[in-house]
Amino acid sequence: MISSTEAKKRAQETLTGFPPHIKVAYLAFAESGEPACLDVVVLGVLQFYLARKPKESLDALPGSTRLIEDLGCDSLTMMDTVFMVESLFEIKINDSELPLIVTLDDLRDHLRRLVKEKANAKPAA
Amino acid sequence: MPVPRAVVSGLGFVTSIGNDRASVTASLRELRSGIERYEFLPGVDLPVKVVGTIKGFDTSALQWAGWRWPEGYSFKREALRGMAPHGLYALCAVEQAIADARLTTAEVTAEETGLFCASAGSPRLTRHYLNQLHDSRGERVAPMGIVSTIAGTLNFNLAAHLGIRGAVAGFVSACASTTQALGYAFDEIKLARLRRVLIVGGEDLNVDSIFPFHGMRALSRNPDPARASRPFDRDRDGFVGTGGGVALLLEEAEAARARGAPIYAEVLGWGQSADGYNIANSDPDGRGLAAAMRRALAASGVAPAEIDYVNAHATSTPTGDASEARALHSVFTKAGARPFISSTKALTGHGLSLSGVMETGFCVVSIAEGFIPGAANLENPDPVCAGLNLPRTTLSSAPRTVLKNSSGFGGSNVCLVLRRWEN
Repeated sequence: MISSTEAKKRAQETLTGFPPHIKVAYLAFAESGEPACLDVVVLGVLQFYLARKPKESLDALPGSTRLIEDLGCDSLTMMDTVFMVESLFEIKINDSELPLIVTLDDLRDHLRRLVKEKANAKPAA
Repeated sequence: MPVPRAVVSGLGFVTSIGNDRASVTASLRELRSGIERYEFLPGVDLPVKVVGTIKGFDTSALQWAGWRWPEGYSFKREALRGMAPHGLYALCAVEQAIADARLTTAEVTAEETGLFCASAGSPRLTRHYLNQLHDSRGERVAPMGIVSTIAGTLNFNLAAHLGIRGAVAGFVSACASTTQALGYAFDEIKLARLRRVLIVGGEDLNVDSIFPFHGMRALSRNPDPARASRPFDRDRDGFVGTGGGVALLLEEAEAARARGAPIYAEVLGWGQSADGYNIANSDPDGRGLAAAMRRALAASGVAPAEIDYVNAHATSTPTGDASEARALHSVFTKAGARPFISSTKALTGHGLSLSGVMETGFCVVSIAEGFIPGAANLENPDPVCAGLNLPRTTLSSAPRTVLKNSSGFGGSNVCLVLRRWEN
């Protein structure tokens, strides 16, 4: 987990100008580790980057909503989202994992798993 | 079928002397400077102390999402995600020009509409993204790193944002770039390949884009904002940098008239040449620039004596201004012509790639509004200027025919002739 102090610094550097609820959720996640807060950040960043905004916010859409076919998420939007999430949570999403992320549920689940693995990883000796 | 006439029917400005046509007009008329003290590196006493600042914008954040701009623009913040700071300035200028020209979305996206742009790219974002890449040993590579930084970033972004389908091109002849873009846009309209072209210039304004010119001692070290940029003055010591964004719509006259758009001025023709002399310095005798002026006049069917006003390229460097003065003598003094001459860089600073379209916009304003901006900050004209007509104050006489000069690194010289619209 990223410390609260580091999270505040990182939010200031990378989330300025993004919708405020993303920053709130990010700082809340740094405090609590609550996965629902992580979801808000991930879907909020994706929604901000989408060229065609869906009528409803992404967290109100079914988990089976497909990123490419239903949301029009192009490869650059996906890479922008990945880059931002990697920066915020100090994780690495490998290129080979990207084809596995097809729906909103896939995105949420995948990032929850990566962040959990990061938290459980033994600190370097 | 008659050859189309090319007119200017839309303008948008984000400059050091104003962020719209009305404020730019007032600044030019009143010789109001946009140059201020500026700290390139916080807390470091560098020898260069002034720039032409952009007011009302904040692009200091490295993340585009953190930038701020004046109210009244309709684009969404996400439109900036592939842009450099000057992309924001240019986008605002483009919105102004489209509204000014009363262009509909259908007309902007029509196959008869093109977009020609120029900027130097974004050294600041390049530095940031490459540092990120090296610091992370290749792990952190920003997805928008290329399209937001390289020369061409303006065309990439604006073409996609606007949905341009006619033609898109970028120009990289340094400080002559956007004048050259105007020239080729003029040709496209004359050849009836396009009915209109948006010409857009932009430059960042920060330590990375301006201060490197100090390496060749091209920047003024005069700390006084009111006197640092003094084209043609005996005591000039270099140029003052500036950034911003300017958009100009060049359009086939009938298309503009049919839409009820304002017609500010007509472009009669253009000419270009190359010095074949030096990577950065102008030919001291001004032969290249003189050739470009002659070609522009000949292409326009205009005699030297018909030119009422020359908006000079003069950037306030010792060698460049002297070279241009000699070129002006060669074309005008020798022909017995004495047009009024001024360089508006005294007010704005030098906008590099942006300067050509910015100053062509100023020429258009002076034609449309009926005045000639004076040679601000000129106290003691360089002896090489003896015989050139450099008015110290703004003249209320309306110029009918105007020449715009531009020169760039590598010896590019580009000149445009504009005339009051006479149907």
